[in-house]
Amino acid sequence: MTEEGVLRLELGDDGDEDGDGERTVDLRGHDIGPKTVVAAIRAASRDAAASGNRPIAVDCPTPGPVHEHVGLVTPSTNVRVRTALAAAARSRGGEAPQDEELADVRERVADLTVPAPPDLQAPRERLAGTDDAVERIRERVAALRGRVQAGREADRDVSELEADLAEATRELAERETERAAAREALERAERLARESRDARERRRRLEDRRANLERRARAHLVGRIREEYEAALAAVPGGPERAGERSESAEGASGDAARRVDDPLVADGVCAALAVGRVAALRAPVVVACDRFETPTAAATWLGAPVVRV
Amino acid sequence: MLLVVTYSRAARGTLRNVCRTHEEVVVRRFGRVALLAETEFAAFQALRLREKHGGDVQIERTRPFNEFEAVDASVREAAAAYEKREEGALPYTAFAAERDHPDPEQMRETEL
Repeated sequence: MTEEGVLRLELGDDGDEDGDGERTVDLRGHDIGPKTVVAAIRAASRDAAASGNRPIAVDCPTPGPVHEHVGLVTPSTNVRVRTALAAAARSRGGEAPQDEELADVRERVADLTVPAPPDLQAPRERLAGTDDAVERIRERVAALRGRVQAGREADRDVSELEADLAEATRELAERETERAAAREALERAERLARESRDARERRRRLEDRRANLERRARAHLVGRIREEYEAALAAVPGGPERAGERSESAEGASGDAARRVDDPLVADGVCAALAVGRVAALRAPVVVACDRFETPTAAATWLGAPVVRV
Repeated sequence: MLLVVTYSRAARGTLRNVCRTHEEVVVRRFGRVALLAETEFAAFQALRLREKHGGDVQIERTRPFNEFEAVDASVREAAAAYEKREEGALPYTAFAAERDHPDPEQMRETEL
């Protein structure tokens, strides 16, 4: 099995469901963690050759989406049951009435281009304070004008004041021009921002629609497979108690969060993962890192999938 | 008040969380839009939201509408009279021409 320090496995390509010995590998005793193994399984399809920095390479069928949910079962496994069940239904070729519309909406979301938002901050910063600046210089102009007037009436030399007034008047004109330009720049940026927001709003609506369709498709798929899943959940070795048998569950086996199950769809942890795995059509190996089965072969038979026991 | 409008599902989710966590800054929330109080803390929350979601967040500042300051009496009277009209199907343009109320085109061109 070992070659240049890399452990090479071949698993589960024959497609038969009898769970014979060739469909299992027991890695207990090897110093390889479950995450490493599952990563190798998921990498197998992508780059079978590029195993350079992995201690293990697995040759197996390409894992489907359901493998993401239940391809690794450890005591701390958590499963989003509805999503996982929908993926399980899909793994068996299940379809939903929403699929066509969903594909259409997904395509439209992908095709949608949203213009980048313009820089609004710089024009806002530029405009900020221009009102005050205009006001300040305007007051100065008025004051100088008053003093020039008063000086003239008193027959004093006002040439210096007049020069100041001319200077202030010029500055006022400058400030007003700057304010007008800043306002215009901001208005221009805001027009662009509106276009960008219109596009974002269209995208958001499409994404809402996509999410809604996905929810409905998921509900449909879950509905199709739910009874089978519940039966599987009840059959998980060391599995959760039925609601009615709860009183006896006090000293049950290992610590599942989902020992007591009123709503099977909120069951999580190992039991849910195994039950979903049993109803799913899994071709790629499941990495089992929990003590629910006597042997790897028992796990493979129960799950109807190749198993790597770690 | 501060008007915060979101343009993506993620930004809407964050707005919802902010509104739940800081009820005191929320004057009202309508789905993906919220009116926040006119405080520095509300502005801080709005700015955080925009920092996180960029162009998917729009922040505007509203001001109270006082029809006695913003518009002429003729506009207020026209609104009241038109809503009291007897002929329900009569368009405003015709109504205004008959009774000497402000012309809609002219109102469109007049800023507050």
